[in-house]
Amino acid sequence: MSSRVCKTCGCTDIDIDQARGNAVCMGCGSVLEDNIIVSEVTFVENSGGGSSAVGQFVASDGTGKTPVLGSGFHTTLGKESRAQTLLNGKRQINHLGHQLQLNQHCLDTAFNFFKMAVCKHLTRGRKMAHVVAACLYLVCRTEGTPHMLLDLSDLLQVNVYILGRTFLLLARELCINAPAIDPCLYIPRFAHMLEFGEKNHEVSMTALRLLQRMKRDWMHTGRRPSGLCGAALLVAARMHEFRRTVKEVISVVKVCEATLRKRLTEFEDTPTSQLTIDEFMRVDLEQECDPPSFTAGQRKLRLQQLEHELAKKIDEVQGEICSYQDEIELELESSRPKLKGPYASYAREDSSDDSVSVASGLPGNEDDADEELKAAAQQLTKDFYSELMPGAGEASRAEEGSEAESEQVVLPRYPPLASLLGPLPTAASLGLSESIQKCITEKDVDGNSENGELDLKGIDDDEIERYILNEKEVKIKTELWMQQNADYLKEQKEKEERIAKEKELGIYKEQKPKRPPKKREPIRASTAGEAIEKMLEQKKISSKINYDVLRDLDKKGSSPGAQPEETPSSPGGRKLSGRRKRNMAALGLGNPISSVGKRLRPLISAHVGKKPASSQQAAKASAAVVTAETSQPVVVESGPVVYEDAMEEEEEEEEEPCVSAMQLMGGNDYGCDVDDDDGL
Amino acid sequence: MEANNDVALDIIITNVVSVFRTRCHLNLRTIALEGSNVIYKPEVGKVLMKLRKPRITASIWSSGKIICTGATSEEEAKLGARRLARCLQKLGFKVKFTAFKVVNVLAVCTMPFHIHLIQFTKNNRPIASYEPELHPAASYRIKNLKATVQVFSTGSITVTGPNVRHVAMAVEQIYPLLFECKSTMR
Repeated sequence: MSSRVCKTCGCTDIDIDQARGNAVCMGCGSVLEDNIIVSEVTFVENSGGGSSAVGQFVASDGTGKTPVLGSGFHTTLGKESRAQTLLNGKRQINHLGHQLQLNQHCLDTAFNFFKMAVCKHLTRGRKMAHVVAACLYLVCRTEGTPHMLLDLSDLLQVNVYILGRTFLLLARELCINAPAIDPCLYIPRFAHMLEFGEKNHEVSMTALRLLQRMKRDWMHTGRRPSGLCGAALLVAARMHEFRRTVKEVISVVKVCEATLRKRLTEFEDTPTSQLTIDEFMRVDLEQECDPPSFTAGQRKLRLQQLEHELAKKIDEVQGEICSYQDEIELELESSRPKLKGPYASYAREDSSDDSVSVASGLPGNEDDADEELKAAAQQLTKDFYSELMPGAGEASRAEEGSEAESEQVVLPRYPPLASLLGPLPTAASLGLSESIQKCITEKDVDGNSENGELDLKGIDDDEIERYILNEKEVKIKTELWMQQNADYLKEQKEKEERIAKEKELGIYKEQKPKRPPKKREPIRASTAGEAIEKMLEQKKISSKINYDVLRDLDKKGSSPGAQPEETPSSPGGRKLSGRRKRNMAALGLGNPISSVGKRLRPLISAHVGKKPASSQQAAKASAAVVTAETSQPVVVESGPVVYEDAMEEEEEEEEEPCVSAMQLMGGNDYGCDVDDDDGL
Repeated sequence: MEANNDVALDIIITNVVSVFRTRCHLNLRTIALEGSNVIYKPEVGKVLMKLRKPRITASIWSSGKIICTGATSEEEAKLGARRLARCLQKLGFKVKFTAFKVVNVLAVCTMPFHIHLIQFTKNNRPIASYEPELHPAASYRIKNLKATVQVFSTGSITVTGPNVRHVAMAVEQIYPLLFECKSTMR
């Protein structure tokens, strides 16, 4: 507000009154400015009687744009998104933190981490709950509180590994190095949960010593700290004569029984376990143990060596057995009956080039596939021969047994065995030699195609042909597949039909997203019958139900069917009145409903028969009239209206398979209603 | 790098994952019905085809993209991929073999000593991370090689990287770090 010169008198003395918002010339008194805009904080009075400042606080780091108050009328009124996020996060941190019994300092630190995370946009695309949990856990780790990630995941009902992933990411992005977890931190907490009473402290100390011992014995690397704690506490408890079972410990420590037992066995293997309680408390063994995985490795090595030696011995024994077998074979050969038929020529011709082809088929390197093929081929032969020659079969079976043992059978074995077994379907005869050769001599190709042409070098077409089924097989497979996936195929067909229909109608909507289910208001009704009626209106289950019958179901005793039928004089008017009265009867609370269940089916099925429903209804009308006096006058407005429609539809009713009302209405609802009425 | 002077470390490649494209639309149903070693998953929309030699499992999508897993070397992966393409060709599709790329290589290696994981993590603070509650191994990410090494306390390590060369380099890089934190000799 620069002081100006008054226009009228030229005076420079101008008085500016902030309260009135005027600028007045002192000389001539003319008002130069009126309604000056001032930038001061003004206060308004709100409904509670207090006064609040007018205006909004705009943070210096924010964008400064205010959201429009038209549609989104939230409690966080007029704040921008970042502030809302932070406020929301703070609320969640406090909520979770209080459940974990963290002190205020920790919560503040957690909130600081959260602010940093928001600044680095780490909350984007992640559930707020996860980020909040990660911040809290980070605080727990830096402060050294005995909270496990498992606790957090319990509270949030989220998989612990998902939380762990978020936590790791957060720690990495914020460059915060969380110190490693020391299992000793958890001891006091678990000890407290196990309720050792007065000796809590002593048991804790013992468990701590045990843990330190375990650490020195290399049991703790790579293991969950809670498992080690559990084992230490269990032993400590037993040492102080507390009977804590394994089950109790695992429920506190949250590991499974197998893990605990394993830790205990590992500890048992250490020399410390041999000490007595007193000794343990006093003495600390100098020597360190090897980690259990190390001992396991040693054991494996030893086993391997043993196997090796055994294999050698087997080889020797093998030689002996073979010589015996040779003799047996010779004997059998001499007494073997002559082969006849097609196999005879096969056998004769093969035996000559047997050893040759087999030897050639294996030029020195034993592929696994080759061995498999050989084994398969031998198996086939044996089966084949055991049918022809039972005597030879025994010998070959015995051989096979010894063969199976000696997997490291050296190459030169093959020719003699082949000759022993007689004609062997060789690689050649099985048509596999080519593929075997290809496999063995295959070299790799490089310099492949930028133009996309498939370089066929090194690919054996024959083998690939085998991957493709021939026509008959295709047919069989098609059938099988169709059968197996019948449901899926049906679904697909229906879907297509539906889409085609909708396309015709022109209302085809692509990708209908799932709309949230319509929320229904809870039914408020004072009686069970009323509730049934309202529910039926809402659900609109079927046009084929005789709603009369349903309403009558909570009526007592007098079976409507057996009553003498007073056919109504004027069906129209009488029906209405009958119906109204029947409604009231239905609402009558004095009727036991225990018999309802049994009567449900027969009533419905009888009703669904061909006979027009009117006569039955007439009967019911009469019954209703009889019991009308006992009923309480409760007015149901919507009843008759609904009824008419239902009635008319029922007149045209067709044959229908018996469906019980229970099924139609969904057993639960009806069951609930029934139960309610029983009490009354 | 003369990282291992006395003992030669055996880096055993256990898995090679590769992708390639056939540049043509594939009818999955035909493949499923005419192939002899296929599993058709219509819900997901892919066909799994397994080859016996080399032992490879391939996921085939109808768009023509194929992922091959299970090979034990890069050459084998390429061979398997080509065989697969040949097989599809025989089934009647006009396949082209393009954009073959090895995407991931998983290798296993065993150190002759045990490793103190906590010390290892402390020495390599932001790069290595060890959460015993979550996983028994410490994971070490080498950014420039885009490789991840998982270090177990027994001395075995698993290395995953984009190709075999990177994996070898990763092992060489990490060996001295592990050697510092060794605990017992085997």
